[in-house]
Amino acid sequence: MRRFLTSKGLIGIVLVGVIVLVALLAPLFVSNELANKMFMTARLKGPSLAHPLGTDQLGRDLLFRVMLGSQTSLMIAASAVVTSLVLGLPIGLISGYFRGLTDNVLMRLVDTLLAFPALLLALTISAMLGPNLQNTIIAIGVAFTPYLARIVRGEALRVVQMPYVEAARASGTNDLKMIVRHILPNIMPQIIVQSTISLAFAILAEAGLSFLGLGTQPPNSSWGLMIQTSRDYLDRAPWTALVPGAAVALTVLGLNMFGDVLRDVLDPRAK
Amino acid sequence: MDAPVIDRNAADAVSPLVSVERLRVEFETDSGPVVGVENVSFTIKPGETVCVVGESGSGKSVTSLSLMRLVEFGGGRITEGALRFARPNGEVIDIVATDPEQMRAIRGNEIGMIFQEPMTSLNPVFTIERQLVDGLMVHKRMGREAARQRALELLREVRIPEPERRLKQYPHELSGGMRQRVVIAMAIACEPRLLIADEPTTALDVTIQAEILALIDRLKREIGMAVLFITHDMAVVAQMADRVVVMYRGNVVEEGAVEDIFERPREDYTRALLAAVPRLGSMRGKPAPEPMPILNQGAALPAEAAAPAATPTPEGSRAVLLEVKHLTARFPVKGGPLRFTIANVHAVEDVSFSVRIGETLALVGESGCGKSTTGRSILRLVDATSGEVTLDGWDIRRLSPSDLRKARRDMQMVFQDPFASLNPYRRLRDQVAEPLVNFGLARGSELDDRVALLFDRVELPREFLRRFPHELSGGQRQRVAIARALATNPKLIIADEAVSALDVSVRAQILNLMMELQRELGVSFLFISHDMAVVERVSHRIGVMYLGRIVEMGSRAAVFEDPRHAYTRQLLAAVPIADPRQRHLRDDQDYRPIASPVFPVGHTPPASEYDEVAPDHFVLRETQA
Amino acid sequence: MNYLLNRLISIVLTLFLISVITFAVTNILPGDVAQMIMGTQSNPEALAGLRKSLGLNDPLPVQYAHWIWGLLTGNWGHSLIFKQEIATLLAEKIKASALIVVLSMLIALVCSVPLGVWSAVHRDRWQDTASSSAALLGVSLPDFFWGIMLILLFARTLGWLPSSGFVDPAADFVGAVDHAFLPALALGLGLMAHLTRMTRSTMVGILNQEFIRVARAKGLAERTVVWRYALANAIGPVMTIAGLQVGYLFGSIIVIETLFNYTGMGWLTYQALLNRDVPLIQATVFVIASVVMLASLVVDLLYVLIDPRVRLG
Repeated sequence: MRRFLTSKGLIGIVLVGVIVLVALLAPLFVSNELANKMFMTARLKGPSLAHPLGTDQLGRDLLFRVMLGSQTSLMIAASAVVTSLVLGLPIGLISGYFRGLTDNVLMRLVDTLLAFPALLLALTISAMLGPNLQNTIIAIGVAFTPYLARIVRGEALRVVQMPYVEAARASGTNDLKMIVRHILPNIMPQIIVQSTISLAFAILAEAGLSFLGLGTQPPNSSWGLMIQTSRDYLDRAPWTALVPGAAVALTVLGLNMFGDVLRDVLDPRAK
Repeated sequence: MDAPVIDRNAADAVSPLVSVERLRVEFETDSGPVVGVENVSFTIKPGETVCVVGESGSGKSVTSLSLMRLVEFGGGRITEGALRFARPNGEVIDIVATDPEQMRAIRGNEIGMIFQEPMTSLNPVFTIERQLVDGLMVHKRMGREAARQRALELLREVRIPEPERRLKQYPHELSGGMRQRVVIAMAIACEPRLLIADEPTTALDVTIQAEILALIDRLKREIGMAVLFITHDMAVVAQMADRVVVMYRGNVVEEGAVEDIFERPREDYTRALLAAVPRLGSMRGKPAPEPMPILNQGAALPAEAAAPAATPTPEGSRAVLLEVKHLTARFPVKGGPLRFTIANVHAVEDVSFSVRIGETLALVGESGCGKSTTGRSILRLVDATSGEVTLDGWDIRRLSPSDLRKARRDMQMVFQDPFASLNPYRRLRDQVAEPLVNFGLARGSELDDRVALLFDRVELPREFLRRFPHELSGGQRQRVAIARALATNPKLIIADEAVSALDVSVRAQILNLMMELQRELGVSFLFISHDMAVVERVSHRIGVMYLGRIVEMGSRAAVFEDPRHAYTRQLLAAVPIADPRQRHLRDDQDYRPIASPVFPVGHTPPASEYDEVAPDHFVLRETQA
Repeated sequence: MNYLLNRLISIVLTLFLISVITFAVTNILPGDVAQMIMGTQSNPEALAGLRKSLGLNDPLPVQYAHWIWGLLTGNWGHSLIFKQEIATLLAEKIKASALIVVLSMLIALVCSVPLGVWSAVHRDRWQDTASSSAALLGVSLPDFFWGIMLILLFARTLGWLPSSGFVDPAADFVGAVDHAFLPALALGLGLMAHLTRMTRSTMVGILNQEFIRVARAKGLAERTVVWRYALANAIGPVMTIAGLQVGYLFGSIIVIETLFNYTGMGWLTYQALLNRDVPLIQATVFVIASVVMLASLVVDLLYVLIDPRVRLG
């Protein structure tokens, strides 16, 4: 536990904690109505007392919008990671535990999928399904699946040849019990680390998708979407891009820091 | 002090080359500084071999790394003491206070060093030549061609065949023994006055160990250098040392001439250490395995249980429990995009033997001889290619998955690495209970009772039931692994190098526990090991394996006292004996190439045929292996 | 020889799988592509005509066979939005993208390797903390955010470089680099941060190896130990990681080229996706995945040259 309390670990935990808290509590302070309220007299205004982070081209308060956007961004990212876990974990486990022909076929497929840049795959899926919130989740989740499957398989392969697994097999443990009691607990640390890193990447991916108009659609608000709309006003109002950009950066930074420290703590090979 | 020095040799004879004085080294960790060694003092005279011996954590490596000032690269700091070193010009310097520049001039030049792992000691992406010449070019200011000539000379000196070709090769193209020779050549390149050898043979097979020990001994005499030899193995100490420094937990316990240490040890710890070392030949004339004497010396040793009375294990009954016939195991080497089989590793080749009820059969041999695969094939942890395995009426190789599960109740395994053989995320109780639950042998409070009794059985306190593996020492974990193996009351336990990873004192206790269990429960052991001295101690019968085959098989007395096969003799001759009066460092001319067990697809080697040279004593007919 | 043959079979198999996946992904749409292209108020006749011309009335395997046969025989079809041969379109755009991808890889490698080594050598001291923190920040910022910052700084505020457009290097090389530099930098900064982290962790691992201790025990200067003995071992792994990042770069160019209005593969892909130009989507996705696969092949082959342990066999 002491190793968590390095400055890096602390900063990461605080950043992630604050942002998750903001996302969870945002509805209590900011209604959709408030976030969409247009202050016609105050379009593209810089930070002021009335609007601490300034306003956008429609005169909407950027602080409110960034708070509300945090909800969408985090929700999409978290759901996408869960999707990739649901798909990738069984593929990786089956491949790594049973090996043989199944493994050969599955991994050939996964390796080929890895040739498709994740963002390209996500964009294509989203474009073909039609961009909306749910499809954005599916697109990112599917795009991340091959990476997760690879890692899970590698870990499963490592654990399967540990003597304690052989000892359990010699003691008559069946496959299901073996996976649940011996394989899963021992690959869990790596899965947790990987999920944290995936979460950071998913936030970047959502921002990228929305930035290109193939992710979150108005009237929903997400950070990527805010940056996209700000592009036309960069000269006059750079803060309209910087505010949501900073929100993405801080969240991803926090998650990466947290992930780094988590890996140091959980992964015995990194010591 | 100002007396004119007339005879350098005479002066050297009295003044030490190295004198370590009250050395203290600390390591910076997350939880503050930790002492690596403290108050360590000893001297090395020119041309003598000093062995520093101790178990893991004794600080012996820290001491040697300090002499090179390499300990700092591992996060250590010399906080007290002096390391006086006599340079060739007669000047005596304190290595602790030497600046990095001068230290570099000493390293590799006046002090050479060799390390434990020949597989990782050489830079994998540079040729042997490049790694040999760079030290020469730095220290002796040689040109590339001169350095190359010297490198060739060095390879000849360490008796590497075809030295010209070796220079152009990369480390991965050489065997472990050859690599260690190259590392030695690097260390002696500048004819240092002191050679530090840090466990140089621990990672090597016993026959190669014998060659390397002989090589170091010869070079020492030829170059006239002193040797600081770090080891955990008392038998190696007996073979190599002029003087011995015994270390325990960062302190020097005892120091003295090698005969004194072995014959008149003053300290309890030294005595216990010596008692725990099995001596090859000490079982001569005894009919059955015998527990090792363990001297109980209170707090000095890790808190493992005391020894039982030395009652010999009775000879096993004549009824056969396990019968293995013509067992063959080959593993495909896959290649190509569609992963076709391109060759086969012939790990086990036509092996037959039987284990009787209540007896210990040892399979002994060097790495890659197929002994572990044999054991794992019996349990069907790997699937053999052909052959028959019969355990108590079960035809193991033809069992359906559900019958195999049932049959596995009767045989269990204990593995080598105590740190990997327990699941780090489960409580010890659950791990020992697992086989009982799987086979439906007990539930509820009966389950709890039986697990507790198993803990008593292997002499572990019941408080450990709720603990996790990381809270235990290596020896304690191995006890848990044995308890787990005993849970189903198996008839056969396969112990695969089960004591190889343990320190000597702990090893003796685990061996005694196994012998005691056999005496009381009548369980049979298939004892797989590379260690001849241990095997001699614990087994009734022995099979010697080489390149996948059993080359000689017979009772312990037959194999050890009347070895017939050339390989058995070679193996026995190579084992260092823990007695300084029985030195037999062979000269190291014969470099034996290691035969490969990889054959093209479709290769069918001949069957193993044996001559019965005496009743129950079989030797492989020599046309084959 | 055997090795090359094996690789060749492997490549063909992978390309086949890439084409299958590409085709599958572009056919996951539950609705009708023709409908989607023409909008909901299209007249039924035109819709039927488009269906026929796209071959949408055939079963999927037949459609796939048509498509793959076209790819193999050089008939890549026409783009619906650009009204142009897809093959010529791609050939032109790939050149533009190659310029910024190579440029960004160069920027990233030149800076990240020394920085990572330096960081590893000073492990856990202030030098390491500083460079590791910077690298961590670097991997946490989205590429387009780098792009926006660069535009604001170099184009808007300082006015040194253009913020938009593409110039053909064959026509005006200086102008081409001028236009390619900011997008390449925007791509390269994130990559640089990532490679710095990877170089650092690789070097930390290598510096803990026994052969490094042996090199020090030989009395070699620390400079030689780090920059020759250790780095020679790090080149292979770092290059492999850099090779894997080609895939990441080809994802990022979609965003960056769009942001900088730089008309390369990424921009083309985006236009195709935005307008659901299915033939063009299939072609661009297939080409990008193939390029990424070939990049990893090149890295594998280079590895053989660098690391004597890897043998052709």
